[in-house]
Amino acid sequence: MAHALDVLGLFDNEYRDDGFRTCSVTGLEVHRSVDNYVKLFGLTAVVALLFGGIFAFTVAMTRWEVVGLLEPADFYTHLSMHAWNLLIFWMVFMEIAILYVGGPMVLGRRLPITTVAKAGWAVMVGGAVLVNYAIWTTEPPNEAPLLTAYVPMPVSPLFYAGAIVFILGTVVAALPFFATMWYEKRENPKKTLPLVSFAAFVTSIIAVEALVGGLFAFVPTLFWRLELIEWWDAAWYRQMYWIIGHGTQQINLVAMIAVWYFLTHVVAGAEVVSEKVSRTAFILYLFFINLGAAHHLLSDPAVSTGWRLWNTSYAFYGATFASLIHAFAIPAGIEAGRRKRGKGGGLFGWLTSAPWSNPVFSSTIFSIILFGFLGGITGVMMGQLQLNMTWHNTFATVGHFHATVVLGTTVAFMGLIFFVIRTMFMRQYISERLASIQPFFYSAAMGIAVLMMMYVGILYGVPRRTAEVVENIPGTEFSLSAAAPLFAIFGIFALLAIAGGVLFVLVAVGSLVFGDRVENGDNADLVADGGLGMAQDPDDPVHAYEMRGTFVLCLVFLAAFAITYLLNWYLLTQLWSIGA
Amino acid sequence: MTSPIKPPDGNWWDQPVNRRESIWLGLGVGWSLILFGWMSAWTRVGDQNPIGETFRIDAEDYREKLTDYKDRATETDDGLVPPDRDVYLQAMRFQWDGAPVVLETGTEYDIHLNSFDVQHGFSLRPEDALSKQINLQVLPGYEWVVPMTFDEPGTYHIICNEFCGQGHRSMHGTIVVEEG
Ligand code: HEM
Ligand SMILES: [Cu+2]
Repeated sequence: MAHALDVLGLFDNEYRDDGFRTCSVTGLEVHRSVDNYVKLFGLTAVVALLFGGIFAFTVAMTRWEVVGLLEPADFYTHLSMHAWNLLIFWMVFMEIAILYVGGPMVLGRRLPITTVAKAGWAVMVGGAVLVNYAIWTTEPPNEAPLLTAYVPMPVSPLFYAGAIVFILGTVVAALPFFATMWYEKRENPKKTLPLVSFAAFVTSIIAVEALVGGLFAFVPTLFWRLELIEWWDAAWYRQMYWIIGHGTQQINLVAMIAVWYFLTHVVAGAEVVSEKVSRTAFILYLFFINLGAAHHLLSDPAVSTGWRLWNTSYAFYGATFASLIHAFAIPAGIEAGRRKRGKGGGLFGWLTSAPWSNPVFSSTIFSIILFGFLGGITGVMMGQLQLNMTWHNTFATVGHFHATVVLGTTVAFMGLIFFVIRTMFMRQYISERLASIQPFFYSAAMGIAVLMMMYVGILYGVPRRTAEVVENIPGTEFSLSAAAPLFAIFGIFALLAIAGGVLFVLVAVGSLVFGDRVENGDNADLVADGGLGMAQDPDDPVHAYEMRGTFVLCLVFLAAFAITYLLNWYLLTQLWSIGA
Repeated sequence: MTSPIKPPDGNWWDQPVNRRESIWLGLGVGWSLILFGWMSAWTRVGDQNPIGETFRIDAEDYREKLTDYKDRATETDDGLVPPDRDVYLQAMRFQWDGAPVVLETGTEYDIHLNSFDVQHGFSLRPEDALSKQINLQVLPGYEWVVPMTFDEPGTYHIICNEFCGQGHRSMHGTIVVEEG
């Protein structure tokens, strides 16, 4: 029975007497509690996406100075709203949903302690509302926090309070996941976790580390703003802040990779070509990935050279190596899995025969490719001690992280939402055609916008976080007007990307409200060729299938990596001599 | 059993790894070591490193140093000519105190960077080659001494690239480099 408040009937799937149903696509036993809370967190995330997306428009149209939409005073407020609603609220609400998928759903359990989940959700929403309120009501002498709220810039204490409340809410909302793992291990001490659950578990540990760092940054700063203590240290704040500021990006990354393994398996028949190798990669993340936060401090005065080298390289590139592992393992899983299903003629037949019109599949693949080529490679560039000097605080940085968090994580999460609409909300898309087009349109437009961001940053040194610099710098003749043509391309493709984002929200919300209900058998088109049972045949091991296509793709990737690396170093060596 | 949503059973650790995957692992290790090796070697042999001595200092104490430096420097139409190889700059909302400054090519200067108030960004490029640009974070409470030797004469522009408040966009200064 639907809840009295559930006028749209979004929470009323049919369950057996024990509260479970069998998913016709994944074959998983899904409990009502899991369905309901994944939906709750997922819907909240989409609200944040919509809200933050509005500010993508105002921010992008201000940076395109030909349009010059906002006054500087408003620009920083809008930029802060954009950053917090998208990078934090859209992503973190999704990630809690992903923990519930990777934990109880994949393990076929109910979500324990649902009152705690509900309380966590309520506290998170409270924190998010408070942060938005604090940003929107910024009054002099306070300044808008942007993403980072660096001390000693005066930022409203309410903002720090809201951020702390949100962090605490997130920890509470993660507790049912930890409880699930605890019960699972107690009941089945000998059973290995499925890979996706294992990935979710690694995500959750990295998340706790990040959130604790956030408390270290925000709690003393709140006390300082309330004049309870007098002490602050700009360098210390930066170091603590980036534990959460970058830590949350690592959560995005690992959660996204869990989604990659999950969705490529479910809709394209990918299999795990080596449990050992893929799990080792996650363990490497666990140990090394948080060190990477140091790459935000490479052009800082207060940290030693040795500290910077060790940490920014994740200890000899341990986490980069882990990502290279996934870069092979996931496409190889698709390739070998599809060859096993008889869908893989020639070098790339496994790709060309894949379900490209299914937005769940295309989103996932675009996320993998664009994250790797645009986000991952540039991340390693700017994470090199010396190259960082040419990237730090330029628009190229904005390009890099839109490649990771938009082209990578947001696109993957959009794919997951498409999946959830069909298999948990049980709704058909209002338009199959628009749903199929959306990932292509959004990824392509955003891909070009992101490249332009990188170019204006690296080639013209255009700074981030400023309302005016290309057409005019007040008080001087000098300006970066040479970058104007690239900004025009940026502006146009940013508008197209925003249109792609609007399309996503229209299709998602439209399907929930007006979409036909999925009846028995309607989801058969989502199931991977040959069904998922094939992955469980011990006499037909997947590692024995060909992975030629993947190998070629990976070599292309490595070549692109090396060429970008050489170009970046070439540019650096053109500079005058700097540093001891 | 190779589904990511089912527990692997049996001895999954000892399952063989595909040959191409093993080769890729080798390439990955090699590339990781190259990345690290190059970066760390460049701190010893390279000419561009964000490395310099750092001291903790109060904003007021740094201001005193700056005032003393300005007294010793020579004022010209183009800007201050430093008395020796030390150049002092202090970022403050919304200007670069100490700029404009006039330097020579071929001389190694110690550029002292500090902020009077909030965090700022020191972003420097010559007027006629915008792709030659470097960016350093400037923090209150710290004095960072970064050596620089310019090899091309010209006007170099400093833009603040860390948000420092309303007016941030107008925070600009110059370094004029003359043939030495
Ligand atoms: C069509 C989509 C989008 C467009 C056109 C867009 C555009 C922009 C632009 C122009 C800026 C920056 C400017 C500046 O530094 O002056 C910016 C900043 C930012 N964006 Fe986006 N964005 C989009 C989507 C997203 C999404 C989905 C996320 C997160 C998941 C995101 C996260 C951020 C963050 C964290 C910042 C930095 C804020 C800061 O400096 O504190 N953006 N975006
Ligand atoms: Cu400034």
